[in-house]
Amino acid sequence: RGLRNRGPDRYWKVQELLKNARHFRGRKNRCYSLAVRAVRRAFVYATKGRQLKRRTMRTLWISRIAAATRELGLKYPVLVDNLVKSSVQLNRKVLSDLAINEPRTFQSLAKLAQARQQEGFRAALGSGSEPPGVLSRVVLLQ
Amino acid sequence: MTARGTSSRFLQSVLQNGVGRYVCQLKRISLIFSKNAQSSLGARNFIEEGVVDYAKKNPGTVVYISPEPCRIPRLVAEYLNGNVREEKITGKTSQEISDLVTKLTNQSGLDIIRIRKPYHTDSPSIQGQWHPFTNRLPSVGPIRPPGKEAST
Repeated sequence: RGLRNRGPDRYWKVQELLKNARHFRGRKNRCYSLAVRAVRRAFVYATKGRQLKRRTMRTLWISRIAAATRELGLKYPVLVDNLVKSSVQLNRKVLSDLAINEPRTFQSLAKLAQARQQEGFRAALGSGSEPPGVLSRVVLLQ
Repeated sequence: MTARGTSSRFLQSVLQNGVGRYVCQLKRISLIFSKNAQSSLGARNFIEEGVVDYAKKNPGTVVYISPEPCRIPRLVAEYLNGNVREEKITGKTSQEISDLVTKLTNQSGLDIIRIRKPYHTDSPSIQGQWHPFTNRLPSVGPIRPPGKEAST
């Protein structure tokens, strides 16, 4: 009655779970029942964190680009809008990296965006008889 | 399975290998197999056909062949930075073993763990990293809140 084999692998199953809890604080890194709950929460946070990471990185890049453009007298939505209209397909990651490590390049990009903005204003407010601007010509590759 | 629970490293090449001359990072490769077991059949075929050509093509790698009574034939690769990688070749064909061997030759000996960023530079900034005075002269003075200027 009492000599039935209750499973030979308990030690290894416990160790496999505890290895994920080794860097925790307190008894959660030693005691199995506490570790089970802590490890499950850790995995849930890791799953949620993968989506959050994409969002937080993007907001970080945007705030950095906005700060850099405001220093040069421009605003972030203006910069992005005009870069898109000039078919400059740099993403926010690259723009923030340029703003930090290549300030002159970023300044030239801001000037480009400003020039395109002025062309846009002239096209909208002008009579239409004036020649269109240089930067607003769209290149069609065929 | 968390990022902090598992080890990770940054992308790097071993001592800037390839910038000047390329040095093969595989130091030693030992093929442990059995002379009579069925699982080592692929290993034995590989030794008949491919090992000598491989050894001639990679003069910087030492190839050891050790026939011993073992249940699972193994390929043990040792790298110049000290890492040892063991691969089981039970039941593999000679072609698969040679593919494995080329894969091990092309690897550097760095650990196969999560790489934090898929890029790395020693010189990230060419024009000089931004500091508060790149676009503003220090003689202009510190930035004041706008309310003060309106009052004076």
